[in-house]
Amino acid sequence: MSTNENLWSSTRAEWIKFRSVRSSIMGVLVFVVLTLGLGALITVAVRSHWHETTPVNRLTFDPVSTSLAGTIFAQFAVGVIGVLLISSEYSSGSIRTSLAAVPNRVRLAASKLIVLSVSILFISEIVCLIAFVMGQAIFSGVVPTDSLANGAVLRSVVLAGIYLTLLAVFGFALGLILRQSAACISVFTSLLLVLPIIVLFLPQSWQNAFTKYEPSALGRAMMSTTPPAQMFGAWTAFLILALYVAVTLGSGLFLLQRRDA
Amino acid sequence: MLRIDHLSKRYKDTLAVDDLDFEVKPGVVTGFLGPNGSGKSTTMRVILGLDHPTKGRATINGKNYADIKSPLREVGALLDAKAVHPGRSARNHLRALAVSNKIAPSRVDEVLEFVGIASVAHKKVGGFSLGMSQRLGIAAALLGDPGVLLFDEPVNGLDPEGIRWIREFFRSLAQEGRTVFVSSHLMSEMAVSADQIIVIGRGRFITQGSVDELTTTAQGTVFVRCSDPVGLAALISRHQGVVVQNAESGLTIGSLTSDEIGTLAHSAGITILELTPQRASLEDVFMNLTAESVQYGSSTPESTHHEH
Repeated sequence: MSTNENLWSSTRAEWIKFRSVRSSIMGVLVFVVLTLGLGALITVAVRSHWHETTPVNRLTFDPVSTSLAGTIFAQFAVGVIGVLLISSEYSSGSIRTSLAAVPNRVRLAASKLIVLSVSILFISEIVCLIAFVMGQAIFSGVVPTDSLANGAVLRSVVLAGIYLTLLAVFGFALGLILRQSAACISVFTSLLLVLPIIVLFLPQSWQNAFTKYEPSALGRAMMSTTPPAQMFGAWTAFLILALYVAVTLGSGLFLLQRRDA
Repeated sequence: MLRIDHLSKRYKDTLAVDDLDFEVKPGVVTGFLGPNGSGKSTTMRVILGLDHPTKGRATINGKNYADIKSPLREVGALLDAKAVHPGRSARNHLRALAVSNKIAPSRVDEVLEFVGIASVAHKKVGGFSLGMSQRLGIAAALLGDPGVLLFDEPVNGLDPEGIRWIREFFRSLAQEGRTVFVSSHLMSEMAVSADQIIVIGRGRFITQGSVDELTTTAQGTVFVRCSDPVGLAALISRHQGVVVQNAESGLTIGSLTSDEIGTLAHSAGITILELTPQRASLEDVFMNLTAESVQYGSSTPESTHHEH
C-alpha cells in the first residue's frame, strides 16, 4: 500500500517535471506537427498524382499506412523525448537531486516511465487517429479510402500509436544505459535509419531474413492492414518490438541500480 | 544523527575515501574540512546513497538513506547547487520535490521566501547566478524541515552578506537541535562557522575536535625582539629551539616556550624588548595536518603561510 502511495507521489512529481520544461513541450509539439503536417502533405501529393499511378501500384496501395506516413518522421521526435527525459538529468546533474528525493532507483525510473508512456500513448493515439481521418478526407472522391469500421484498419491506427510509444520508451532505455543525449540520439537514429541501409548491402537471401527484424520494418508491419511481403504480421511485429524494448529497458534498469549516480 | 562506519570508496584506481569512521552529533555545527579532492564530496554522496560504498556504510538515525521512506523529511542536502534542470523554474523544481516526498505545497513558498529568492521563483534556474543557485539549493534542503542537514561547500559563490547570513543560519539550525554537517576546504570559514571539526586528507581521517582543541594542541611560536638577535638566535639553536623566521623586526621561535626563551636571554645578558607567544591559527594547524596528504599541492615552498 505504502509502496503504491510512494509510486503515486513520485509519478506526480515526474509529471510536474515533465511539463515544466520547454524541451518536452517542444518535443511533443514537433511530434504532432510532423505527424499531421507531413501526413497531410503526403496524402495531398498522392491524391494529385493519382491519375498517373500505375495499375499495379493502385492494387497494392494502402490508404491507411499512407495516411500515417508522418509517423516515420515523428518517430525521431518521440525518441528524443524519451532520451531527454533521463539524459537531461545526467547532463544537468539533477539526477542526484532526483535520487536524493526518491532513493529507490527502480521507483524513480518507473515514475518517469509511467509519465512518458501514458502521455505519449495518449497523444500518439489521438494524433494517429486525426492523421488517418484527415488522410481519408483528403483522399475521398479520388483515391480509394478505408474506414475504422474495418477491424484491420482500427488495428493499424491503434498499433501506430503503440509503435511511437514503444520508441519513446526505447529512447528512455537508451538514456538509462548511455546517459548522454548525443550518444543516445545517434544510436537511436542509427538503429532506425542506418541499419536498414547496411542490410541493403547484404546478399538478397540475408536481406529477406533480416529486414523484417529491423525496428523500422516492424513499425511498417504494425501499421499495415495486410502484412507486406517478407514481413511479420502486425501483432507478431508488435511483440518482437516490445521484446527489444523490454530487453533494452531491463539492461538500463540493471545499470541504473548498479552504477554510481 | 549521522554515522560513518569504516567507510571506503574506490573509483577504479583511486581510493577516494579510506576507512573513515566518525559520528556527527545533533545540536552543533560540524565542519568537514579537507583540501580539494580529499573525499568530502564522495563521503556526502555515499551518505545520500548516490554512490555505493566499497566497504563500510553511512547511516542516518540508524538507517541507510535508501531505506528512508520520505527522505527529504529526514535529511536535507545541498551537494551541487547547479544540479538543477536549467529549463525549469525554481518554484516548479521545488514543487516537484515537495510532491515526491508528500510535503505540503505551502512549504515551497515558505522556503523560497526564507532564502530570499521568492521574487525570482518563476524564472528559469539556468539564468541564476551561483549565489542564487546556492540559495535555491538551501531552500530544497529545508523543504522537508529535516533533522539532519548536509551542505557541501555552501559558501561558494555567496557574497559577504550571504556568507554571514548562512553562518547564522547554520547556528540557528544547530540550536534547534538539528544535525548540521558542513564541508569546506576553507579553514578560515570553518573556524568561524563550525563548533566541531573533522579533518580529512586523501580520504583518510586526520583529526577531530573543537576549534579550540585543534588550535591549542598545535604548537605555537614565540615572537621576540631583543638587544642582540644574532646572539639569541645562536643561543636558541643550542637549546633545541628552532628559529622559524629571522626578520629585521625580530625572531620567531618554535619549540620553546616564552618562559624558556626569557630565562635563556636573561642568563646571557640579552635584553628582551618584546616576547609574544603566538597562537597557531586554525589555518596553520590545517596546513600542518594535511601537508602530506594534499593530492594536488602547489610546488611553492612552504614558507608562504608564515605571515601574520
